[in-house]
Amino acid sequence: MQNHITVTEDRSEILTWLSPLEPHLRHHDIRENRVKGVGDWLLRTEEFRSWMNGDAQSESQKETMFCSGNLGAGKTYIR
Amino acid sequence: MCDEAGEAGGDIAVAYFYFDSAIQKEQSAASVLGALLKQVVGGFTQIPGKIMDAFRRHKKFVGGRKLQLPEIVKMLGSFSSTQPTFFCLDAVDECAAPDRAKILLSLKEISKASPTSRVFLTGRPYVGGEVGKRLSEGVVLVSICPPRSDIVQFIQTKLEEDTTLDEMDERLEAEIVEKIPETFSDM
Repeated sequence: MQNHITVTEDRSEILTWLSPLEPHLRHHDIRENRVKGVGDWLLRTEEFRSWMNGDAQSESQKETMFCSGNLGAGKTYIR
Repeated sequence: MCDEAGEAGGDIAVAYFYFDSAIQKEQSAASVLGALLKQVVGGFTQIPGKIMDAFRRHKKFVGGRKLQLPEIVKMLGSFSSTQPTFFCLDAVDECAAPDRAKILLSLKEISKASPTSRVFLTGRPYVGGEVGKRLSEGVVLVSICPPRSDIVQFIQTKLEEDTTLDEMDERLEAEIVEKIPETFSDM
């Protein structure tokens, strides 16, 4: 039991040591405010599907997708 | 995007970050990449030996030491090659330019070490050129311009949540739903 507590404490201490930043807090807010279905159009595009499911062996595979848009275009809220 | 990748099933790891220009100083390259590493490692049942060793090693120094960026990048490359990993970073334009350069170059290195990993970035158009240059050939560019149906749906949802119902009538609501999408198309 003693060991178990130490391990649990270590885990949280180590994770905080890796970075003090807590991006899940912002993620939670965004999920709460997202309007259902908005932004889903991107997930249906051929560009998105081939980027997501692409063939790692293919030389033409692009590993990064950059979504550009002006302030308020909804970039943050893409599901 | 984070939720879409997370729900895709299988052994997929998702690590994300949201930049905020108001707290740029806190969002250094090492802290941001460290936050991604934290999420990848947090998904493991046990903390990997490499991390445990580094933690013990760094703790010996007075006041403790943090992992340096090259060590973080190496670990991210190594862990993300054991399972498909999605890295999602929102609003890269809000990251300070020197940190952005380091982060983009780091992501390129991680992708090279782990061909099954994917990087999803968002940002204002003016950083598109930099993203393309730093990540060279491996970038798909998509312009986010929501369809009218999305804008209408968004407005209707917000109108339903409106707390000043007495000031709203059908005519005003119809006018809002009609006019706002028009102004948006000019952005």
